[in-house]
Amino acid sequence: MRLLVLTLFLIALITLPLWGSRYVVSVVMLICLHVTIASMWNLLAGYSGLISLGQQMFIGIGGYTLAVSSMYYGFPISLSVLAGGVVSVILALVISRPVSRMRGVYFAVGTWIIAETLGITFSNWGYVRYGMGLFIQPAYKLSIPSIYYAAVILGVCSVLLVYLLLRSNLGLALMAIRDDDGASEAVGVNIFRCKLACFLISAFVTGLAAGVLYLNTIFIQPFEAFGIGWTVKLLFIVIIGGMGTVEGPVVGGIIFVLLQQFLSDYVGFNLMILGTITIATIFFAPRGIVGTFQNRFHFEFFPIRRQ
Amino acid sequence: MLTSLEPLLNGILLGGLYAVIGIGLALTFGIMRQVNLAHGELMILSSYLSLVFISLLGLHPLLTLCLVFPSLFIIGYLIQTYLFNRVLGRGMEPYLMVSFGLSIILQNAMLKVFTPDARSLKTSLAIQSLDVYGLFHVPVIYLVDFTGGIVLIGLLHFFMKKSYLGWAIRASGDDLSTSKLMGVNTARVYAIAMGIAAVTAAMSGVLVGMTFTFYPHSGTQYLIVAFGVVIIGGMGSLWGTFLGGLILGVAQLMGGQFLGPGFQLLSGYLILLIVLTIRPQGLLGRK
Repeated sequence: MRLLVLTLFLIALITLPLWGSRYVVSVVMLICLHVTIASMWNLLAGYSGLISLGQQMFIGIGGYTLAVSSMYYGFPISLSVLAGGVVSVILALVISRPVSRMRGVYFAVGTWIIAETLGITFSNWGYVRYGMGLFIQPAYKLSIPSIYYAAVILGVCSVLLVYLLLRSNLGLALMAIRDDDGASEAVGVNIFRCKLACFLISAFVTGLAAGVLYLNTIFIQPFEAFGIGWTVKLLFIVIIGGMGTVEGPVVGGIIFVLLQQFLSDYVGFNLMILGTITIATIFFAPRGIVGTFQNRFHFEFFPIRRQ
Repeated sequence: MLTSLEPLLNGILLGGLYAVIGIGLALTFGIMRQVNLAHGELMILSSYLSLVFISLLGLHPLLTLCLVFPSLFIIGYLIQTYLFNRVLGRGMEPYLMVSFGLSIILQNAMLKVFTPDARSLKTSLAIQSLDVYGLFHVPVIYLVDFTGGIVLIGLLHFFMKKSYLGWAIRASGDDLSTSKLMGVNTARVYAIAMGIAAVTAAMSGVLVGMTFTFYPHSGTQYLIVAFGVVIIGGMGSLWGTFLGGLILGVAQLMGGQFLGPGFQLLSGYLILLIVLTIRPQGLLGRK
């Protein structure tokens, strides 16, 4: 049953460019990318206890790596997207030591300030044309379906990746840390390495997704790419969907992108509405849509607990 | 030689302003162990409120404080009572996110009401500068900022140490369950503490409005300043906050002077990251 639903869903996703309109294809593409980035944030916030407000640093780095390597060095697009992921991992490795010393609020703020620092650095850097931004010219030649398929692959793989990760030993260790970090350390769980693994994975996939995202947007600019606006979106998606659930970012991502489309006529009010919905969810359904649903019906689409 | 002391001196004066920006955050963190991410928006809201009072009543910006202080106290009291108190005791995340949601709402509401244009609270003070023996120039407004900062922090210190309410607030921060047992209404104490934090936001908002131009989205930038001050000084320590403000102010102006204007913000952030890495609890903070 579960497999059937999943297969139908995948077939629909794969064949969409054949029967869907251009608009539907681009909306589904946006959903896939948001699901990818939100899943990676959820892996940190929901399972590793690392509330990062600086996830946009990987979006900016991924996007800029794509722009620089495809335009300045003439690398093929696919390689440039991959490079975005790799450079994101390198950045994550570099900052992992200092940020591992920060706890709770300090980690949240520390990551945010790193992202802001990068934003300011890029806007003062002549190599990437300061704050004026870059037009990613090689991306003009791409067709919409090819970007769409890249987004779908990322979306599906990221959800699958989180699911498999949580079923693995790493997932078991993470849940032990979440429930009692002292006890888990005492029985031999290496907290630093577990969290580092999650941090690096989330950096890599976010960097890739950023590359695909900017293939679609074509234009990248430091204050947008490294802006706190990304975290606002991620928070909304994950909280509405349900933090600490595999399906949460999927449900949240769909709701977010659709709401954004519907509310695009009410410029200025849409963010106010998103903020209100977020606060209301925290008050009345703290586990989000998926979490509340799971509590009531005892059904998980992607069960991560072993029976 | 002596002219290179100019950014140092101005940095110290600017640091007084930064200390006021950070003090509200330090206060609420010291008491509730929570961080209000909407603090910057409360500041900018005060700047706009002051602007409204100026245009309605024709007052001097500093005089509008008489009206902005009570308004912000009420706003702070209400948001703590109806929003933040509901998520206390559920860990760090819900509080962070509720305040983040509030900041988004406030920011966009201000954008709707006041348009995205740059505004400032114009005074004759803003363009005057003191000439100290022909050696360096000190903008008068920076002196006003510094004095305002010292006075507010001094008053706050006095209030927390000497008044009954101050004791109750500090007691709730030190040991929640004991202070409850001693009959302190902690929900109300928290609301009052948030009201006071909002009053410090009002002070810093009006001073910032007189010193720089502001936009509806400026709150984010000042929230980072507030964090910087609090992190460098150590969360929950009043005088540490003051020291943090001075360090950040000096770092920014020295960086701007010697590396170029684009590096003013950057040098402040770098100092901050270094402190966060080496001494995450702040220079004067307790573990």
